[in-house]
Amino acid sequence: MSIPGFIIRNALRNKRRLLLSVLSSGVSLFLLVTLMVLLRELTQPPTDADAALRVAVRNKLSLMSTLPQRQRFVIERVPGVEVMTPFLWFGGKTEADGPIRFGTFAIDPARLKRLFPEIRCDAGDYESWLKDRASCIVGRDTAQQYGYKPGDRFTLVSGLFPASIELRVAGIYWGTVDDRNLFFHHRYLDEAMHDWGQTGMWWLKVSSTEVMPQVIDAIEREFANSANEVRAESERAFQAAFVSMWGGIKFLIGSISGFVLLTLVMVTASTMSMAVRERFRELAILKALGFRRRDLFALILAESFGLAALGALLGAGGAWLLYSGMDVPRATHGIFVSFEVTGQMLGTAALVASLLGVVSCLAPAIAVAKMSVTEGLRTLD
Amino acid sequence: MQQPIVSIRNLSKVYRQGEMEIAALDDVSLDITRGEFLSLMGPSGSGKSTLLHIIAGVDRPTSGHCFVEGVEVTSLNESELADWRNQNVGFVFQSFNLIPVLTAYENVELPLLLMNLSSAQRRELVNTALELVGLADRRKHLPKQMSGGQEQRVAIARAIATDPRLIVADEPTGNLDSASADTVLEILQTLSRGAGKTVIMVTHDPRAASHGSRTIHLEKGKLLP
Repeated sequence: MSIPGFIIRNALRNKRRLLLSVLSSGVSLFLLVTLMVLLRELTQPPTDADAALRVAVRNKLSLMSTLPQRQRFVIERVPGVEVMTPFLWFGGKTEADGPIRFGTFAIDPARLKRLFPEIRCDAGDYESWLKDRASCIVGRDTAQQYGYKPGDRFTLVSGLFPASIELRVAGIYWGTVDDRNLFFHHRYLDEAMHDWGQTGMWWLKVSSTEVMPQVIDAIEREFANSANEVRAESERAFQAAFVSMWGGIKFLIGSISGFVLLTLVMVTASTMSMAVRERFRELAILKALGFRRRDLFALILAESFGLAALGALLGAGGAWLLYSGMDVPRATHGIFVSFEVTGQMLGTAALVASLLGVVSCLAPAIAVAKMSVTEGLRTLD
Repeated sequence: MQQPIVSIRNLSKVYRQGEMEIAALDDVSLDITRGEFLSLMGPSGSGKSTLLHIIAGVDRPTSGHCFVEGVEVTSLNESELADWRNQNVGFVFQSFNLIPVLTAYENVELPLLLMNLSSAQRRELVNTALELVGLADRRKHLPKQMSGGQEQRVAIARAIATDPRLIVADEPTGNLDSASADTVLEILQTLSRGAGKTVIMVTHDPRAASHGSRTIHLEKGKLLP
């Protein structure tokens, strides 16, 4: 027998309690990792190189306020601007499928690929889309979810705009961070809205990251003190601002994570306290046999640590296995796209488990350290 | 005259319970020689277990001195005392106190894990100890698979595995039938007479005490003449 063997025997002496403890810490850590994944899913900014060159221009008043299309001619002339497109969220529902769970955006198709070069689409289909004003391209995730294929037709009815537009699916695209959207011709929407002359925002690409600050500054100055003042910002800044609207949810997730951790500590601490209290006599015997305080502390710590490690393996490892093995976009009907358990999250879970192992054994370990042998022996007879 | 292995001088132990002070030991002085089998008798609360615990280094006196082989046990700190107990004292308790999840072999091996011994050295010591108490064939049994007498013999094997100079036994036959008690007492006697171990045994039972080479009586914390 060795000391590690002795620790394992001790941990296994009450198998049901061990199982329940590992399960409770495992489930808690699973929940914690899931919350971290969820938070990342909601807040992750785009990381591709082109994102560093893209600028979003929106109404300074609010994201829901529109901008006049005539601004295009001013912005296009700003030095450093390479390409731009209007960008309007149409929203709405289809007659066949009812409310939809994907973004529908009116844009300038001729500029889309230059602005978002990561978009992949069959060349023939893309060409067909460019030529047909009443057509659209649909993200692969959405196409799979709704069963759309090239040639299908449906009518989009917006809840925001007094227009219904009939669209033909020209092609399916993929390769973006979010292959769920539908893009159609802004000009087609303009016609349906009787030359409305407005758009939601502008997306543009600058020639280099060095000129971006000047471009942003120039665009904002161009429209300063006008009826439609704008806010221009990098894609990352825009995403961050957009995400800040999720502040409440972030707080909620953070709070739930906190409670999960607290519960986890209490459950494990309670288990360790029970395990040690049951063994108070034996620990006194070990002391009498020559085990020092630090030896006993190490025994208790190792057991507590092992329990937490098993929980981490089950919870965090289980989350990793589950989310990397399942088709999350399909399972969540496209609500979540990547839902990835990162190495950092696994590291955090391991750190939490380690701290848990230490924190939960502190109280029982201190009690044992304080216990005199005679006090422990007195409980024997 | 033989040099005493245990030398106790003016030992007192006072327990405080609120405002009350209870003297468990009152100015006790005693010498115990090497190889002696000393029986400590006395009524409940007479201080015999307290005296045993102080000699074994698991309790500290309020005043006085306790020397074991020239080492003043009362002056050692917690860590030193733990090491000292491991190397010098073997414990036998009334309720055996074996670790229930360990086999007889592993229970005996437990104090040896603290010494820098190879597994082969440990194996040899454990087997010798188990053979001495006649339980070599029970080495793989868990405590619950053994009788009380056998459990106590395993406890004795655990107590002697480290080859200590001193064996302290607190009511070792208190939970045993007379046949098992006799076996245990004979083993303790053999350890004292044959192996030269100093055995100090606390007991209520005059028959058990008669196995010792000397019996002393305590009452109200004082040694009776």
